[in-house]
Amino acid sequence: MSVQVRDLTKVYQVPVKQPGLLSTLRSVFHREYREVRAVDRVSFNVEPGERVGFLGPNGAGKTTTLKMLSGLLHPTSGEVRIEGRRPQDRSVDFLKSITLVMGQKQQLIWDLPASDSFELNRALFDIPRQVYRERLDELTALLGLDEFTDQPVRNLSLGQRMRCELAAALLHRPGTLFLDEPTIGLDVEVQAQVRQFIDAYNRNTGATVLLTSHDMEDVAHIAERILLIDHGVVRFDGSLGELQRRFGPGRLLTVKVGRTTEAQEHLLTGVLGMSAGAAASWSKTVAPDEVNAVLTRLLQDLPSAEVSVGEPPLREVLTRAFGEARERREEGA
Amino acid sequence: MIRCMRLVPALVRFSTARVMAYRAEMVIWILSASLPLVMLALWNAVAAEGPIAGMGQGEMARYFAATLLVNQLTGVWIVWQLNYEIRTGLLSTQLLRPVHPLWHNAVWMMTALPIRALVMLPILGALLAWRPDLWVRPDPLMLPVFALSVAMAWALAFLVQATFAILSFWLDQSIGLFGVWYSGWALLSGYVAPLALFPDWAQRPLRFSPFRAMLGLPVELLGGFVSPREVGLDLAVQAGWVLGALVLVRVLWRRGLRHYGAYGA
Amino acid sequence: MVGALARVSLLIAMQYRSDFVFNGLTGLLRTAALVGPLLLVFQHRETVSGWTGPEATLVMALFLLLSSMTGALMEPNLGAVVEHIRRGTLDLVLLKPADAQLLVSLSRVEPSRLWDLPAALLLGGWALAQMPAPSPWGVIGAIIAVLSGLAAMYGLWLLAICTSFYFVQVDNLRFLLMSASEAGRWPLSLFSGWLRVVLLVAVPVGVVTTLPAELLRGRGSWEMVATAVAVGTGFLVVSRLAWRRALASYTSASS
Repeated sequence: MSVQVRDLTKVYQVPVKQPGLLSTLRSVFHREYREVRAVDRVSFNVEPGERVGFLGPNGAGKTTTLKMLSGLLHPTSGEVRIEGRRPQDRSVDFLKSITLVMGQKQQLIWDLPASDSFELNRALFDIPRQVYRERLDELTALLGLDEFTDQPVRNLSLGQRMRCELAAALLHRPGTLFLDEPTIGLDVEVQAQVRQFIDAYNRNTGATVLLTSHDMEDVAHIAERILLIDHGVVRFDGSLGELQRRFGPGRLLTVKVGRTTEAQEHLLTGVLGMSAGAAASWSKTVAPDEVNAVLTRLLQDLPSAEVSVGEPPLREVLTRAFGEARERREEGA
Repeated sequence: MIRCMRLVPALVRFSTARVMAYRAEMVIWILSASLPLVMLALWNAVAAEGPIAGMGQGEMARYFAATLLVNQLTGVWIVWQLNYEIRTGLLSTQLLRPVHPLWHNAVWMMTALPIRALVMLPILGALLAWRPDLWVRPDPLMLPVFALSVAMAWALAFLVQATFAILSFWLDQSIGLFGVWYSGWALLSGYVAPLALFPDWAQRPLRFSPFRAMLGLPVELLGGFVSPREVGLDLAVQAGWVLGALVLVRVLWRRGLRHYGAYGA
Repeated sequence: MVGALARVSLLIAMQYRSDFVFNGLTGLLRTAALVGPLLLVFQHRETVSGWTGPEATLVMALFLLLSSMTGALMEPNLGAVVEHIRRGTLDLVLLKPADAQLLVSLSRVEPSRLWDLPAALLLGGWALAQMPAPSPWGVIGAIIAVLSGLAAMYGLWLLAICTSFYFVQVDNLRFLLMSASEAGRWPLSLFSGWLRVVLLVAVPVGVVTTLPAELLRGRGSWEMVATAVAVGTGFLVVSRLAWRRALASYTSASS
């Protein structure tokens, strides 16, 4: 087992402060605290080489969980083991076996070339020179790094900087990768490159990948297993397909027609309620038990149409999943 | 510990690159610490009518030339650096590396020392040209003693600043608190006036204070103002302060990290 | 206009009220440490370079007045402008319908530094009480000199702000300016000839501290008042011109 998490809980004490000068003065001597349960008895195991995505709205506890797994935050209660080690002990062996990439924080020094930071990490992580050379060459090829690693980091574009961050974070070839919003702010092209890279790294080294992201595409591309977290609780744990089946609003029907008559258009938009998309295509998400009826109707009236059935966008699935979770919570309350 | 020492060469290489990247700022910083020259002008005018507490114009010039140099050799900025890293959460990226962040910073700030000393040379040269009588042949035995004392003063300055920086784990105003400490230090360390000029009743407490251990003692050693009989006790007191500060920093750091881990990284 | 701007900056600063009180306490302690060397000097001597204890204290009080003004009104704005330029938000400031120089000069205020003012008044009041009463002309001249000196220092800080349009890393300039003005804590006659000129004309601290003190202790002359006014207007005019040049180069650089 690569990652074991049992009953992991994190409770923050947040100081409560009333506005006004008097209460400010009072708060110097006596502070009132409110408890915020960021993560609530979360349990899961991850096998070596698995790619797991944490999904959830802002403030769901994704990042808190990731920071506990990487040893930055101490759990209020519960247990974490990463390859048998306790993260919060921050032993040298543990630190050498993991990496955490935060899309919004950087380890590279702003005014120095990235290559200097690479060289520093080589020493800090005790990487033999020969091995370091090979890995750097490999990462350079995979990430498309080039001479920009010799420019001060402040002069790099966000995409270049993020690619350098990834290289710096993976030089010591960690067996467990924690990625916190790794593609935030990047343009589409670089996002795709980063995803492909993580994919390749996972396949080449067999590393375990745990990822949080707002970006559904990230999750769909990188993660084979999804943990849905909301209000600190795991709402779902399973594959992407299961998630679609469980929460998905149905199947996505797409119809492509060469040329349509007015009557046919009326059928598509008026009767079936489909919305027109690009290049003479119409689509609609249809509930599972209605799929057959709609398909039959389409084949009858539009025999020339090209009909495909697919999964609805992940975004839609999630909106429904969190909506359901909220309803359940409100019922419970 | 052994691991820490083994990492030093790599940290030095990296830190030197960092110092060189900031060299222009560094020079401005160094030049900003010119207060000893202002104080020299003042005390030089005071001593014009005759020596006070045994110090004439030559001694004053020697004293403040030494202050200028020692102040540079003990210059650190860990309180701002660490406070910044804690406030912005950048400390997290430091904590994920298998090296103690304080150690990393200590090596960085040490590698800035050569450039600091270098910038001082022309200023000291100009002082010597202005007042040749500030020069006295140093006692060769005192030089290693001075080196030891400067090293301890540097360590104490680093540890004291680190202490205030670690308070940022709990307090928003740690930099302000450090400002208060700094004002006390400026007055009582010998930075603005030789400690010999203070009234008699203050002499004993000043001699054994941490402020003198941070600046005054090495300055007086370099200027030849300490009688050899007293050196042993003075160095022992200084070493005591360094050890005490080291223990304090270790304890606070561990507790601070636990707090950081409990409240947000 | 000025009032509205000041009010907004004040509100921002007052959001951290406990900081405000805290800064007040630390400010008082810092002032106490500043007076230390003064006590030491006059423990050993009756006069230094022709200045008595109370007279030197008056210079110190004027310096505190200046440093609280620079600390509260001028220094924070340099930091603010540097930040604006780095983040590209200066555009938003410049788009507001008011004189840009005014907007930039008052974009951030640090009211906790005003805590130095009571200390300055206390020290100054004590010093004046120890000295023979100044003549009415002396008082008027001193007030003119103080105001001119403050204007000159404002011009100096505005010049520093202007340089941030050309070089991004001017935070450090702040340290240099602050430490250069440190010398103004003491009567200028302590310093050698060329340094005295520098402290009157280049870093015009002396105009706020020594010149008014000279006028108040009855050693002043109308030439001193004239110098103060000349330096003040000079800095205002030059900094205004520099500001307009900087602004022109800013817009052309970013478009």
